[in-house]
Amino acid sequence: MAFVELPEWAALAPVLILAGTALALFVFDSVNPHSTNRAVLAGTSAVGSLAALGVAVWFTAAGVGAPGMDGFGVIELFDGQIVVDQMALFFIIVVTVVTALVVVASYDYMEGHAYQAEYYSLVMLAATGMATMATANSLVTIFIALELASLPSYALVAILKDNRGSVEAGLKYFLLGALSSAIFVYGISLVYGATGFLQLDAIAAELEALAAGDGGDFGGLLGLGILMLIGGFAFKTASVPFHFWAPEAYEGAPAPISAFLSSASKAAGFVIAFRVFTTAFPVDVTGQLIGVDWTLAFVILAVVTMTVGNFAAATQENVKRMLAYSSIGHAGYVLIGLAGLGAGSELVMGAAMMHLLVYGFMNTGAFLFVGLAEHWGVGRTFEDYNGLSRQAPIACAALAVFMFSLAGVPPFGGFWSKYFLFTGALEAGLLVVAVALVVNSALSLYYYARLVKAVWIEDPIVERDGLTQPTGLYAAIVVAAVMTVVLLPGFGPIADAALEAAAVVIA
Amino acid sequence: MEGLFDYAPAIALFPLVAFVVALAFGNSLPKKGAIPGILATGGSLLLSIAMLAAVASGEVYHETLYEWAIGDAVSDTGVDGVEFTFGILIDPLSALMLVIVSLIAFLVHVFSLGYMNAEGETGLPRYYAGLGLFTFSMLAFVYADNLLMAFMFFELVGLCSFLLIGFWFRTRSAPSAAKKAFLVTRFGDYFFLIGVVAIAATFGTLQFAGDDSFVAAAETAIADGTTLFGFAPETWVTITGLLVLGGVVGKSAQFPLHTWLPDAMEGPTTVSALIHAATMVAAGVYLVARMFGYYALSPTALAIIAFVGGFTALFAATMGVVKDDIKQVLAYSTISQYGYMMLGLGVGGYVAGVFHLMNHAFFKALLFLGAGSVIVLMHHEQDMWKMGGLKEKAPVTYWTFLAGALALAGIIPFSGFWSKDEILYDALIVGLEEPIILAAYAMGLVAVFFTGFYTFRMVFLTFHGEPRSEAAEDPHPVGWSIKAPLIVLGVLALVAGVANLAPVAKLAQLDITFLESWLDGEFGAIEGLTYGAYGELLAYETSYIGTESTTVLIAAGVSLLLAFSGAGVAWTLYNVPEPVEHKERLGSIGKTVEDNYYQDEYQVWLAEGLTLPLSRAADRFDQTVVDGVVNGVSTASLFGSDRMKRLQTGIVTNYAALLVTGFIALLLVLGILGGWF
Repeated sequence: MAFVELPEWAALAPVLILAGTALALFVFDSVNPHSTNRAVLAGTSAVGSLAALGVAVWFTAAGVGAPGMDGFGVIELFDGQIVVDQMALFFIIVVTVVTALVVVASYDYMEGHAYQAEYYSLVMLAATGMATMATANSLVTIFIALELASLPSYALVAILKDNRGSVEAGLKYFLLGALSSAIFVYGISLVYGATGFLQLDAIAAELEALAAGDGGDFGGLLGLGILMLIGGFAFKTASVPFHFWAPEAYEGAPAPISAFLSSASKAAGFVIAFRVFTTAFPVDVTGQLIGVDWTLAFVILAVVTMTVGNFAAATQENVKRMLAYSSIGHAGYVLIGLAGLGAGSELVMGAAMMHLLVYGFMNTGAFLFVGLAEHWGVGRTFEDYNGLSRQAPIACAALAVFMFSLAGVPPFGGFWSKYFLFTGALEAGLLVVAVALVVNSALSLYYYARLVKAVWIEDPIVERDGLTQPTGLYAAIVVAAVMTVVLLPGFGPIADAALEAAAVVIA
Repeated sequence: MEGLFDYAPAIALFPLVAFVVALAFGNSLPKKGAIPGILATGGSLLLSIAMLAAVASGEVYHETLYEWAIGDAVSDTGVDGVEFTFGILIDPLSALMLVIVSLIAFLVHVFSLGYMNAEGETGLPRYYAGLGLFTFSMLAFVYADNLLMAFMFFELVGLCSFLLIGFWFRTRSAPSAAKKAFLVTRFGDYFFLIGVVAIAATFGTLQFAGDDSFVAAAETAIADGTTLFGFAPETWVTITGLLVLGGVVGKSAQFPLHTWLPDAMEGPTTVSALIHAATMVAAGVYLVARMFGYYALSPTALAIIAFVGGFTALFAATMGVVKDDIKQVLAYSTISQYGYMMLGLGVGGYVAGVFHLMNHAFFKALLFLGAGSVIVLMHHEQDMWKMGGLKEKAPVTYWTFLAGALALAGIIPFSGFWSKDEILYDALIVGLEEPIILAAYAMGLVAVFFTGFYTFRMVFLTFHGEPRSEAAEDPHPVGWSIKAPLIVLGVLALVAGVANLAPVAKLAQLDITFLESWLDGEFGAIEGLTYGAYGELLAYETSYIGTESTTVLIAAGVSLLLAFSGAGVAWTLYNVPEPVEHKERLGSIGKTVEDNYYQDEYQVWLAEGLTLPLSRAADRFDQTVVDGVVNGVSTASLFGSDRMKRLQTGIVTNYAALLVTGFIALLLVLGILGGWF
């Protein structure tokens, strides 16, 4: 059905477009280091990320990664180091959507900032890293992609060089990141030691061979390695106990970067976790070797993460910090996707993928609203937000949509994905997790509703003059809100896409 | 005739359009919305007549138009799904009722021109909008093809009556009466709703007609002896039937839920005519007729219907005797007459019940509109003791009102005689075998005497004698919009009995019982929904006093004798130039009757003395226990949240330590479980 026969490496087009955009911005920066032409810089980044998004959507629609007659099948590159399948494309879509929203919003947010080109090229580089994470199919490429995403992120968090909070947050993020990377790479070496392979399919094949044989003497070694890998993923997805960086980093970083890290980076962290644990470590075989079902680790992590995140969020006074903890809580919800893998149901992992997509819109939008508030300079606490709806009803309506969707109130997108997670958890027999999900969602409504109440119901504490309406931020917020709402009618196709992607990976 | 039924939805939709038009543009229209109402109901009337003709030529219509929900069902009868639909069922019964309803609605609209517009009322668009919605709801209820749709429009009918009874919302009494009507009927409707759910859950269908109707399913279940919800099938059918009957008792104002109806006289008289003759109150009895096949399966339910009907007929008739307000008398007569219909249906007299429903629609609409005319004549005075002598001054009103009164009292040859006699005859022949039915029959028979008495007391006090007030000496003139509907209905009250001259047919061996043939499906009907089919289901035995002819003669003679003696007593007491009140002679009984047997008082006591303390206790439970638990949970959560927050110290070495500690804890758990050490 293709008009022209594309070479195989063209399957990587979305990633290449992102990388090319980043390099083009570098060239621009070296030619004209002091340019503050925000329109060109933000515009280039937006075009680059939208182009990558368009290509990824086109590939999905054309059937790349889809099995069967009319699909192109899974495309493997570089001897299986890189793989382009439906799940990779799904997550590239999530990453590029968030990137586009973030760069458009940054146009206003980063106004008057000294390092424009650097900022945008770092964002694009991080996006490249995240997109590569979606396609990585070997522990080596995974580690490289992970670092490619992480290193720009550290710099981005600390990019407000005159702001003490930003620099401090960047440093803490970097220190904890270094520790976690060390654990992760140590885990890779242990797995390599136990199996002798780094490519994920090869690891699975070796494990099956071992299980069929005498099982080897490396059960404990392998188990420790797997657990350390989990540590690396937990860092990237801000899951307990590797979450400590998140509240500080999100609070200190520029708001668009907080949005970027909490949505795109988290999604990228999950995609490698999904891929590694579905491809390399089949539940039954691995369980036979290490003597324990690794989904148990995710069950524990899911329950603890959502509980810590939501409970810590409940009494925060600072809005950005509240969102940071809520982001941890949502990582806990998505972990259900991995916890439920033991039951072999694709529904629960598909549900986790859906949640990440919806989350990409609603959480990015919420952080961008905080960015808008910072742009206005109204303050950081709930009280400072009181009565904002009088001056900015549209943005506040969007905020209400984000908050209720995050809390999982029908009819917004967040309700549906959470509902699927809930039914998926029940189907997988994880009653405890399902109960924790419900209890935590109920608690989360409390603090989300508090914010809605502040902007819509409370009277302002101080008199404010009229507020500006920065185009870029407004556009990004409105698009995110609209998507959060229309994902409901669009949920059929999205659910199908996510379930299909999950099914292909699991099978 | 094939395509004609495609227009059936329009019968109900015309008045709905009139409702919207009156509501949206009423203020800028001439006559404030009356014209669209008249056109719409006129259109409905013409279409209904066309439907009647189509049914007469052997066609019937049963079609599901819209399916709005499908669900799984778990039932004892083996169905696995239940569908909730909107559909239309036009058979002899509903076609007849459609004509009656649209005719009365049309006449009420015309009459309103004289009663409301000419009297300079305000808020007329609201009034006409209410009438339109009321007519729409009733028509849709009449041709509903399933119980759930019927229930929905039944509720809508209740809502409309609330809106119209409370039309003069600035007075003190009208809003209170509207609320009372709404709440009392709603009390009955709770049972109806439970009944609908129970039937849907039991049989997985709510259709009235066809092989997949709940009636047919119940019949099969009884034949197979299937246990339903742990009950014998007959018992369960009785229980569900009685639950639905709760709604009927409320709407048709049967004892003990009749108390709303006299208060409902606070609405405009035209609304009373519509409520009593064709819509609200008729809806209850019509529902029993509609699902008569279901009740026919349960002799217990039928006997209860018959007994409640007979009791209500007598009970309400005695209260009508002592009222002074002309509309109050008519209100109690309505309760009493619907009691007769219930009695007729309860003894298996399906044709008799429907016959009386039809006749009553005509003569009660006539009497109410006549009363409305009297009220206009009397400058809005309703006390009969201030009237008198209107006979000469308003001949059209007098003669038509007299026709209605004769029909109501059951005087031969007016329509009411034929139907009431048929009900009593059916009750008598069953009663000879069943003592409880005989008791119901006896009450119905005694009520005939009271009916004759209060009817003619009303006629004599209003129209005869000398004028007893200035208004009565100089009445306000009435126009043609008032007179024309009266004449149409007056003629119908006189001749409608021809539809089913059962006694004549039985005595002279003539085949002139047209209504019976109509309802028996001789022209066309849906299988299972005919008089004959119901007759096969009925478990009643009948017998005669001597031969059939003697029984007919005895029944007719006795009831006619009682009607005449009631009228005669009224004649001697009140047909004098200066009538006086005779209530004192009744002593304490009279006082009790005048206070309506303290029905309102005990219902108020039930609300204030029983329900209120219970609600207070529930409220206290809610305030202390439920709220306490909820507040406790929230306090505990917030406390936990505070602790959780403190984990984040801001010192990065602490984080590293906690991170590693957490990791090691996880490692220990998994390692010990997996035996790695």
